[in-house]
Amino acid sequence: MKKTSDLTWTPFFSLYKRELNRFLKVIFQTVFTPLITASLYLLIFGVSLGKSITLSSGLSYLSFLIPGLVMMSVLNNSFQNSSSSVVSGKFSGDLEDLRVVPLSVSQILWAMSIGGLTRGFMVGSITFFVGQVFHYVVIGELLSVEQPLVLLFFLIIGGLSFAQLGIAVAFWAKTFDQMSAVGAFVLTPLIYLGGVFFSIESLHPFWKSLSYFNPMLYFINGVRYGLLGQSDVEPWMAAGISLLALCGFYFLARFVLKKGHYSRW
Amino acid sequence: MEKKSPLKIENLVKKYGAFTAVDSVSFEMKPGEIFGLLGPNGAGKTSIISCIVTLQEQTSGRIEVFGHDCQKETKLAKAAIGFVPQELINHGYFSVEEILHFHSGYYGRSNNTERIHYLLDKLALFEHKDKKVKALSGGMKRRLLIAKALVHEPELLLLDEPTAGVDIELRTSLWDFVEELRKDGLSILLTTHYLEEAEELCDRVGILQRGQLKKIGPTAELIKELTQREIMIKVSRELESIQHAHLIEQEGQHLKFRVPSDKGVGDLINDLGLDLNLVMDLSIKEGSLEDAFLSILGGDVQ
Ligand SMILES: Nc1ncnc2c1ncn2[C@@H]1O[C@H](COP(=O)(O)OP(=O)(O)O)[C@@H](O)[C@H]1O
Ligand SMILES: [Mg+2]
Repeated sequence: MKKTSDLTWTPFFSLYKRELNRFLKVIFQTVFTPLITASLYLLIFGVSLGKSITLSSGLSYLSFLIPGLVMMSVLNNSFQNSSSSVVSGKFSGDLEDLRVVPLSVSQILWAMSIGGLTRGFMVGSITFFVGQVFHYVVIGELLSVEQPLVLLFFLIIGGLSFAQLGIAVAFWAKTFDQMSAVGAFVLTPLIYLGGVFFSIESLHPFWKSLSYFNPMLYFINGVRYGLLGQSDVEPWMAAGISLLALCGFYFLARFVLKKGHYSRW
Repeated sequence: MEKKSPLKIENLVKKYGAFTAVDSVSFEMKPGEIFGLLGPNGAGKTSIISCIVTLQEQTSGRIEVFGHDCQKETKLAKAAIGFVPQELINHGYFSVEEILHFHSGYYGRSNNTERIHYLLDKLALFEHKDKKVKALSGGMKRRLLIAKALVHEPELLLLDEPTAGVDIELRTSLWDFVEELRKDGLSILLTTHYLEEAEELCDRVGILQRGQLKKIGPTAELIKELTQREIMIKVSRELESIQHAHLIEQEGQHLKFRVPSDKGVGDLINDLGLDLNLVMDLSIKEGSLEDAFLSILGGDVQ
């Protein structure tokens, strides 16, 4: 007698597990490299330069920087996980498998984006932990989380959004170079300009008003609000625009998974 | 209740831009049969299979797997199919056994170790189960693809050129395995341009040329209907020029005829009014699927 198969949760969890195992196998590269990067940022910007920066809010620059770095880790790693999964699948040819097996577009989309979010969360937590160590050493106390649920909300929205954006970009890309170009020339600048390292209050009015069109601003300031209880953007507005951005990325990823080519390069 | 056809294709058209790769192809498989899709390179075999597994979007037409429309009831159709692609696939990160576990999961099977080990053993991959795919030879990769296609005990197996680039030893063992699968009730569609393979394995074949299905029928009947035997006669002295419909070559003492496969040698010699004492040597070459193929495709074999 043939075994009965569950085509809803088992396929979904299998793909999720694969997405997870894929980065856990290369954990040094995927988790520890970002750890070192975050430490360097904290050391150079937070500690060394931070001494000469005073914020109008009266916060230490190090406290200001930590939420920015945490969100940057989450966004980058969520994006990395789903996009490298798709790109390497195109490269080796096993992306075709996803199309051939009885996985629906929604299952692929959610398994990949929650997989990306998981990695983002892990690296984000590590960054937060390292940030706390620095904070304790430099300022003498731990940073307390002001609004844990708000923090969680923005981390999840940001991670899912970027994992879904990663799917879309990786499907679109025709080469590895195109893939990394999007990271280097589009995402990293947008994340930096979204206020990881500075408050947009300190910008020239022109750049400041331009910043409001950058969705990263809302992601990053949402996290900052969650951690510090204060940010450049009203939290409700940040939440609204972040959700809107998530919807946009979701439909983009959905479209690409439905219509895109799963064939190898 | 009558068993549903494993695969029913109606007026399938696949265009790449303006180019029509599959031109209104229709056929239906019978439960438990091995159906061969034959044709030269570029005939459209892979395109048809790609439409079945939705790797390519069909331009028009209808494909049903056990009554499930491949576009509307995608999940059910896919769950019934095992697919072995023509091109070898690598997997970056995982070992052979891990890949098979994930693959089982995609088909809804979470505890599938028994089946996986059975297949690894059957396909002589057991000792390589902890290797990364990169470390496998081409033949092993091919067998891994077959194992992947079978983890969920599919009811319809699609084999796209399963033995292309595979050495002879492996080829015969794969043929045996395919026969065994069929005995277990699996319906199999295989594409090939090795006619020997089709002749050996297939109950029925369809011959595809430039996207069109030219001929379809039981392999044996097709051979009989379409093949010709070659009769070579060596005579003891040079004859004057012979006029005969089936003569294809006359050179010195050698005569060569190509006749329909139901025409006997005696008939031919009677036809010619040839003195039997003149015949020194006589040989017959029976037609094969290759000839059938050629007679349908004309000179279009690359
Ligand atoms: N993705 C594609 N884009 C454009 N043309 C294609 C594509 N795939 C196949 N073709 C063309 O379609 C025809 C049929 O190809 P294919 O189905 O691979 O044939 P076969 O498998 O019988 O060798 C060929 O002329 C091939 O060049
Ligand atoms: Mg082909």
